[in-house]
This record gives sequence, structure tokens and C-alpha cells, in this order.
Amino acid sequence: MSIAIRVKFIRGEEAKYVSHLELIRVFERAVRRAGLPIAYTLGFNPHPRMVFGLPLAVGVTSEAEYADFELAEEMRPEDFMDRLNRQLPAGLKIVEAFVRRGKSNIMADIKGAAYSVVVCAGDMPESVDILKLTEVFLARPKIMAEKETKSGVKEIDIKPMIKKMSVDESFSMGDSEIAGACGNGKMFRFDIETSAGSEANLKPELLFASLGDFAGFRFKVLKVHRTGLFVANDNRD
Amino acid sequence: MPVRISDEILGQVEKPSRYVGNEWNMVRKDPGSVKARFAFCFPDVYEIGMSHLGMKILYHLLNEREDVYCERVFAPWVDMESIMRREGIPLFAMETRDPVRDFDIVGFTLQYEMSYTNVVNMLDLAGIPIFSRDRGESDPFVCVGGPCAYNIEPLAEIVDFAVMGEAEEVINEVMDIYIKWKEEKAPRREFLHRIATVEGVYVPSFYSVSYTPEGTVSEIRPVSPEYPGRIRKRIIKDLDNAYFPEKIIVPYAGIVHDRVMLEIFRGCSHGCRFCQAGIIYRPVRERTVDGLIERARNLIRNTGYEEISLTSLSTSDYSQLGDLTGRLLEEMEPMKVSLSLPSLRIDSFSLDLMQKAQKVRKSGLTFAPEAGTQRLRDVINKGVNEEDLLKSCSLAFNGGWSNVKLYFMLGLPTETLDDVEGIADLAAKVVAEYKKVPREKRGKGLNVTVSTSCFVPKPFTPFQWEAQDTMDMLEMKQKHLKEKIRGIRQVSYNWHDSRLSFLEAVIARGDRRLGQVIVRAWEKGCKFDGWGDQFKFDAWMEAFDECGIDPAFYANRKRSFDEVLPWDHIDVGVSKKFLKRECEKAYRGELTVDCRLNCTGCGAGVFEGGICVEHRNKG
Repeated sequence: MSIAIRVKFIRGEEAKYVSHLELIRVFERAVRRAGLPIAYTLGFNPHPRMVFGLPLAVGVTSEAEYADFELAEEMRPEDFMDRLNRQLPAGLKIVEAFVRRGKSNIMADIKGAAYSVVVCAGDMPESVDILKLTEVFLARPKIMAEKETKSGVKEIDIKPMIKKMSVDESFSMGDSEIAGACGNGKMFRFDIETSAGSEANLKPELLFASLGDFAGFRFKVLKVHRTGLFVANDNRD
Repeated sequence: MPVRISDEILGQVEKPSRYVGNEWNMVRKDPGSVKARFAFCFPDVYEIGMSHLGMKILYHLLNEREDVYCERVFAPWVDMESIMRREGIPLFAMETRDPVRDFDIVGFTLQYEMSYTNVVNMLDLAGIPIFSRDRGESDPFVCVGGPCAYNIEPLAEIVDFAVMGEAEEVINEVMDIYIKWKEEKAPRREFLHRIATVEGVYVPSFYSVSYTPEGTVSEIRPVSPEYPGRIRKRIIKDLDNAYFPEKIIVPYAGIVHDRVMLEIFRGCSHGCRFCQAGIIYRPVRERTVDGLIERARNLIRNTGYEEISLTSLSTSDYSQLGDLTGRLLEEMEPMKVSLSLPSLRIDSFSLDLMQKAQKVRKSGLTFAPEAGTQRLRDVINKGVNEEDLLKSCSLAFNGGWSNVKLYFMLGLPTETLDDVEGIADLAAKVVAEYKKVPREKRGKGLNVTVSTSCFVPKPFTPFQWEAQDTMDMLEMKQKHLKEKIRGIRQVSYNWHDSRLSFLEAVIARGDRRLGQVIVRAWEKGCKFDGWGDQFKFDAWMEAFDECGIDPAFYANRKRSFDEVLPWDHIDVGVSKKFLKRECEKAYRGELTVDCRLNCTGCGAGVFEGGICVEHRNKG
């Protein structure tokens, strides 16, 4: 009797330069080291049955990544989590595991993502109020952005893809490592929620490029941390 | 103090995972708790260095010791290097990110002559004086090993010492002496003095070289009778019981050989006359099937790798290949671990094996006849004849393969244009073999690729006295072959840059006077010479010119048998007498048998190991 286990995992600083393809290989090898009863695809070139959620860009950390594992035999999700965690390299850790009901895989379920983004506004005039600027930026009927596609640069309206965007007023430049990267400029942290997944996907970089175009000065993205992924249905018991 | 590599820097460079470390099985130690720190440097990028088996062995071997911490160092790619130079970041080690200049011993493995400018560049980036004479009491010792270390003369003024042969034992002896020396707080020279008498260690500064009026070497002698006149390489006699790491590092980033490398034996018994590896790794020593299965099992358990590759100079020569592969396949199947079998001689046994091992994907098959005519193949003692080759191709085509690569060398001793044309003829015969196979049986879309490299005469080979063809001559031959191949539709042709092979030939047989040229070339911006887009041939030629050294003297000059060669004081076991005899037989087109069949008296028997001993025991 096969089962599917869905896990939520974090990707910390040590593992943030691992690309999506490399990440799949890291898990595949960890599963083999752990001796877990993963199911394989049929055919001449068998692959482990694992599906990862929305790929995370290189350099981005996250506390809410998801993956599905199909197992060839029944197993308690907690045991699966423990055994796999012991074989994961620094920076990767499973924090939750449960049996997935239904057929749909994680990729199809993801609809949105939340990020905490630290930006540097090096050329921002003293007179500008960031709260006001953000409010006006969001209030327009259309928010245009230049998206690079395979066929060239395309103007798109990203407004429907912005679910939430707010300035974190409690943020201070405590993190010395990034403080240096902004020189004398001003740093801000934003909490944002955007559309994510196969139907519509808005990356934080594009959103801040658009904000910069609107403001007339650049917002350099220093740090992106994914804080949540939203699913239409998490297929939990 | 570790150096800081900010996110901003890593965000700007290609493949940041080259610089971050933290891989599975990386060794972590407190540097304060060890007595000596060893920086194992590979003079190329991470993906290349991490694919090297020797580095894996020595890294883990040194780290088995509680009193030593060995870390890895790779050459930063040019994008990272320019940021490091701009920001004043010195060369650092992967594990602790501590500057390399703070280590006790800095060791480079030399796999390729064209990596020497990278050695110089890495020393400079580390802030370590390039020439050994400029290093002071607080600087690390710089040592080298690997196949190129057998003629280390071009780097003689740069390295403090070299290790000849397999370092598994000698490196521990050197570390013991180092730790004792360090505790005694003895002067720098004293350490070199102590290791100069360890078998397999060569301290170039304790040897002086004089030259004849013609510019050849007249004598190489130790500066004091305390030091050995000849330095003999070291080998591991019993490979089965030798150290082999079972917890190797598993990188995040795709490296060139991203799999378990299972070394089945060392050495090669064929005796191809151009091949340096075939001589310097003698004698042939096999590991047992039981030992290999045990190692494979532990390596997969500790790494989770999905593939095992058998490594050696010639997989088909392993005496228990059927037994080994059968048991490995059976053991690995449930874990879905596949087996890859490089450098396999193509026959019905191996084709059957490949089908079992690789299941599907009829990837390309590679043949290396090396020369286009039987006459020239006999000269180089490549025991392959046309009939065998075509039979192998036919078998492969009948088995559904349709991608064939054929490797040759241009510029081999005694080569004529007939031999060059022979390459095209052979390719045409391979195509004809394909056409003989019934349509329904053969794979679709025949693709034969002919590749030619340029022959580079290497030290410790029967061809060590030969002149390399000039670059003009090699290019003429490439052009000629291109014309001949153009007429055959299914065959494509590619060739190596003769300029790179020319420099390789100069350095491979170079003497101490080349050190200044290498440093001069580096000053002119040469590094990563083996990477086509980085190679600056003109800068190299300027460097030779400015140093008043004629590169053709080294590459294109035929030496006489009685000339003193710059590496004559190094003893690899195989005697000069044997090499001379082989060279003479080459001119007569006479073959020498595989030494597994009959001892050819090469001299490697002095090591009392492997097949040499087995021969003697048989009678």
C-alpha cells in the first residue's frame, strides 16, 4: 500500500545558493542515505517519486517550502521526518510532515506566496515618506511592470497579483552584514503577498523594480525570505 | 580570522555554490585544537577539483588524524578573483574560510602542466611569496604532488618540496616530522633538511643543476652528500588494505564526476609508448572483489549517490570484471544505483555488460585506435588491429548503437601523410560496417566523430627523447585530414589547439629555467590556460621572448639517448634502459606484450608489489 507524505521544510542561509535542480538531488541522496522506502517511476531509468513546490530563486531563504514524497510502503510521517532530517545537510530541515490525501500534487496546489523583503533605497530624497509612497503606488488602477520574457521585454499589469504590501515599521538596520551593502542609503523591510504558482507568478524583484520606476529612484533588493506559501487546498487529513 | 564573503559578492558571481562549502560529509574541526593545518589546493575551479579522486583520498586520510586539519582550496573563477582582488580578500579555504597564508602546509596537486599559472596565481592571491627563497619563518611550506610532480623542475624555485608517487603513506611521515619540528621551534630550513631524506620526498633547493654550452643539462646533484642522489617514488604495495575514505563529500553543485568513484586497480600493463600514466603508475595492483563490494556498499550508504563508476586506466583489464559487475549490479538494483563503466574495451562481453548496467540510453561508444594505420599503431605499441576495431563496431551497431567516437593523435613519431589519411580511411570503414547491418536492427542516424589531439612527448615514456611536430606541421596535418574527411557524410571532425599542445610539450619536459617564464606569463595575465576562452598564447610567447628562452628548444628538439634529462634524478622504478629499448623497438615497429602475460623487465619490480610479485611467484 503506497502513501504520499507532504512535508514543510525550511531553507536557511547555508543552503540558499542551492538551485532548484540541485535541491531535488540533495533530497534524493538524503532519502537514499536514510534508507526510506521511496517509490520509483517505472521504466528503464527509474526516478524517485518526489515533487517539489514552487522553485525558490538562488540566494533566497525560506521557512515555508513544500514537497511530496510517494512511498512504496506505509510509514508514520513523524518517522519519515526524523529519519530524513538526520540525513539533510546544514540549512535544510523538515518542520512538519503529514499524510497527503487525494491525488493532486503540491505544484498544482500552490496559489500564493508571502515574503519578507529588505530593500535599499540609496537615492531616496529626504522628503519622501515611504508609507505614503507605497499607498499611492498601490492605489493606482493599474500597476505596470516590465517583465523579461523569452520573446523580449513585455509590459504587464501586476496589480491583480499583489495581495498585500506593507512597510514593516519596526525594522531597524540591526543586521550589520546587510547594513554595509546599503552604504548611507535608507533600508526598509516590506511584508508582501503575491500570486505564485503555475497560473500567475509575481517575483519580489519585479514588484520592487516597478515601485522604483514609479518613485523615480531605485529599490535594490538586498534580502528575500519566503515566509509562507498558500495552497488552494493542502489535502490534509 | 575567517574572511567574510558577503551575500552581495556571492550574488554577483557565476555559480556561488563554488565558494560556500557546507557540503554533506565536509569535515569540521576546531582549528585551535590541531597541531598542523594543511591546505589542499587544486589549481582549477571547484567542479574540476571536487571530481578528483586523489584529493578525496588525501583530504579524508589527513583528517583521520586528530592532530591535523586538512581543508580544501580551489582556484576562484575570474569573476570571483577580480572581486577578491578589488576588496582585498585573500585566498581562503572552504571549511573555515581562513586565509590560506595562515596554514602550515599548502599542497597543490598537479594533474596538468597548463595549470601551473594557476598555482602561481593562487599563491599570489593567498599573499604567499611566489619563490621559495622569498618565504620567511612565518610563511607556510608549499608542496606539490600528482603526476606532473615527477618532473617538477619548471616549478623548482617555487615549491619547497615535492612528493613523488602515491602520497598515502609519505604524507603522514611528513606531517609527523612537521609537528615535531614545529614543537621544537626549529628554523625553516631545518624542516626541509629533515624531510629531504624521507623516501619519496624531493626538496629542489637542495639540488643544483649545471648546463652544457649547448644549453642542455650537464648535471643535477645534491648540494650535500647527506641527500639522496636519486629520489625514488613511493607506492602502496597492498591496495586492498590501503586507506580509502568511505564518507566522501557530496557537493550541492553539479561537479564533473558527481558519483562514487570506485578505484578497481592502479597502473596499466599495456605499455603504449606515448603514455606517461602507463609508466608512472606501475606496477599494476588490483583490489579484490570482496573489498570493492564492501567499499561500494559503505560509500552509497554514506553519500546517497545514484551512480557508481569503476575507475582505472583500463576497466577491461580487471581480472575479475564479470564477478565484480555481476555482484555490484545485484546489490545496487534495489537502491536504484546505476553502474557506469568508462574506458571499456568494446567486445561482446562488454556490450552485454553495458546493456545490463545502463539499461537504456545508447550513449556514444568511444574507441581510441590513436593512429590511422597498422604500421603506426605498431610503432606506438597500441595493441589494436583494424579487424578487431571493425568487429567491435559491427557488434555495437548490431546492438543498436549508432554514435561512435574515434580518438587519434597527430604528430606521433615516424608519422607520414599516409598515416594521417589512414584516419579518414578507418572512419570510412566504420561507416561501411554500419551500412552492412540490416536497417531494422541498427540504430537510426549514424554519427561518427573523429577527434585528434596533438602528440605531446612526456618524461618517463619511450618517446621522451622525441621532437614534437611544429605547430605549422600539426596544423597542416589537421587541414589535410579535414579535407579527406569532408567527403564522408556521416563523419564529423574536431581537433585540439596545437598551440596549447606546444606549450604543454615545453613545460612537460622543461627544466628550471622555465620557472621565470611561467611567472612572467602569469604577470602578463595568463591563468586558466586550459580553458579555451582564457588561453593567451601571445602573452606566453612574449614571456619566452622577454626571458630569452626559445620554447622550440624544449618542444621541437630531438634529444640523443645520452643527453642528461632534467628529470634523470627521479626514479619511477621503470628504468631508462627499458625506455630506450622500447624506443628502439618503436622505430622497428616491433610490439611488446602486455606485461600481465609476460614480464617485460621494465624495472617496476623493485617495488615488490602487484603483478610483478605475482609473476615471480608463478615461476
